[in-house]
Amino acid sequence: MDRRKFLGLGMVALALVPATSLHALDFRKEKPDTWTAQTVDDAIKALYGATATESKDITLKAPKVASNGGAIPVTIKTSIDAKTVAMFQDANPESAVAVWTVPEGGIVNYTTKIKMKKSGTITVIVEDKAGKLHSVKQTLEVALGGCEG
Amino acid sequence: MGNMKIKVKSAGGIAKAKVQAKHEMLTYDAAKKKGKDANFITHIIGKVGDKVVYELSSSQFLAKDPLFKFEFKTDGLKDGDKLEMTWTDLSGATETDAKKIKGLK
Repeated sequence: MDRRKFLGLGMVALALVPATSLHALDFRKEKPDTWTAQTVDDAIKALYGATATESKDITLKAPKVASNGGAIPVTIKTSIDAKTVAMFQDANPESAVAVWTVPEGGIVNYTTKIKMKKSGTITVIVEDKAGKLHSVKQTLEVALGGCEG
Repeated sequence: MGNMKIKVKSAGGIAKAKVQAKHEMLTYDAAKKKGKDANFITHIIGKVGDKVVYELSSSQFLAKDPLFKFEFKTDGLKDGDKLEMTWTDLSGATETDAKKIKGLK
């Protein structure tokens, strides 16, 4: 089956799954286009419908050279009073990695491990309470690709 | 149960949590090669009581057995309160695990 179509079907299937009350805000259901967008810009547009300005108030910590692209530790911190935080990269077939919903009064200090197929740039967007977008980028080299091919 | 490793410790009004979920996180590309269906965690939520302290919508590009580290404020929480983590994957499966927050008074 054509891969695009397959993805589309997956989204439909996802939408049919009865929503449990557990999900306060699931961005995969809210903004399905974000997850199929192939460029970082498209993904940001699909998610927020706006463009971001670079900000010094976000700290993005990732290794300059990642020996294992299958598990790259990334830490995001910001002093901005954030509503959501989103992470994208340009090395994989689709660009969106994760979207955090920051709880009221929450602390933005998130670490997770991600996969990158090859060297590329990680872009982090922080949406503040007013809906303004702030971004930060970091380019890193990946020695061994992490998508098992 | 027992699918997740949760460590959560409170000090000075802030709790630091470290959660590792056991999940293959099979991407569409990798799944195709293996002849399986792609499956990965799409949503993970952390709660203390009714209060949401962590929420993430994710794609297939989180690492295998993904790690989540985060912090949250502990005002209003008391000894014995638990951090409850729940994930949902693409197949619709969910797992919930909870752990007592250490260091609360």
